[in-house]
Amino acid sequence: MAETELAPKFAPFFGMGGIAFAMIFGCIGAAYGTSKSGIGIAGVGTFRPDLIMKSLIPVVMSGIIAVYSLVIAVLIAGDMGPPPGQSYSLFTGFLHLACGLSVGLTGLAAGYAIGVVGDMGVRSYMQQSRIFVGMVLILIFAEVLGLYGLIVALILNTKGRG
Amino acid sequence: MSSRRIVSNEKTVLDQDSHERNGATDTGKSNIAPAVPASVIIKLLGFTLAMMIGPLGIYYLSLNSLFKGNSTFAGATAAITANIVLIAYVVVAFKEDQSERLEASEAEKKKK
Repeated sequence: MAETELAPKFAPFFGMGGIAFAMIFGCIGAAYGTSKSGIGIAGVGTFRPDLIMKSLIPVVMSGIIAVYSLVIAVLIAGDMGPPPGQSYSLFTGFLHLACGLSVGLTGLAAGYAIGVVGDMGVRSYMQQSRIFVGMVLILIFAEVLGLYGLIVALILNTKGRG
Repeated sequence: MSSRRIVSNEKTVLDQDSHERNGATDTGKSNIAPAVPASVIIKLLGFTLAMMIGPLGIYYLSLNSLFKGNSTFAGATAAITANIVLIAYVVVAFKEDQSERLEASEAEKKKK
């Protein structure tokens, strides 16, 4: 593959960065959400063990954040290949970087929100059972932030193949 | 004799056998049922497996068979699968809570 102005040698660097950022930031968010709400569940479970099953919802939601990042990382990795067979333009590299950053950083934001809301929501649910619907609604709204990042990343990813 | 050690003849807490201290064992049956019933563990294991295998499995299954290599739709399908698992979990958790409450109320009725 000859080096051209549109496809310089360093272009795959940005695509690889996109893959790494998607996984790293997304998993930081998911880990924070899991651990913070896990602390809350451990606090609740000592007093009301029957509520543990319902209190695990923020943990499942944090897991979904990681799945979003994983999907985008797999998508970007599927578009890349070793140099002789595939011409990888700088545009595609930046595109994949934007994909990874959008899904990764929105995942970080969503995971942070899920962690804080999950911790306090579960503790409040122990004292007032009617807060459950509100807690799940707030968690869904926090989760949707990560979904927006995923949608943008999916749309961006289609532009690279046109 | 002032330098003599104090020798205690009574048994300390450490010398006593455990069953003497906790009264549950010597007064009839003890509760040996597992703290978490097997059905709950199976449910949680099922959701864990569904969360790990579901989205990625659907992605690779649908990539070539359903969408003919269009990875965008396959990725969207994987994300939707993850959300379906979440909704299923919320439904199961809700039912779990209600069934426990029903069982408790039935047990109370039987006592009366």
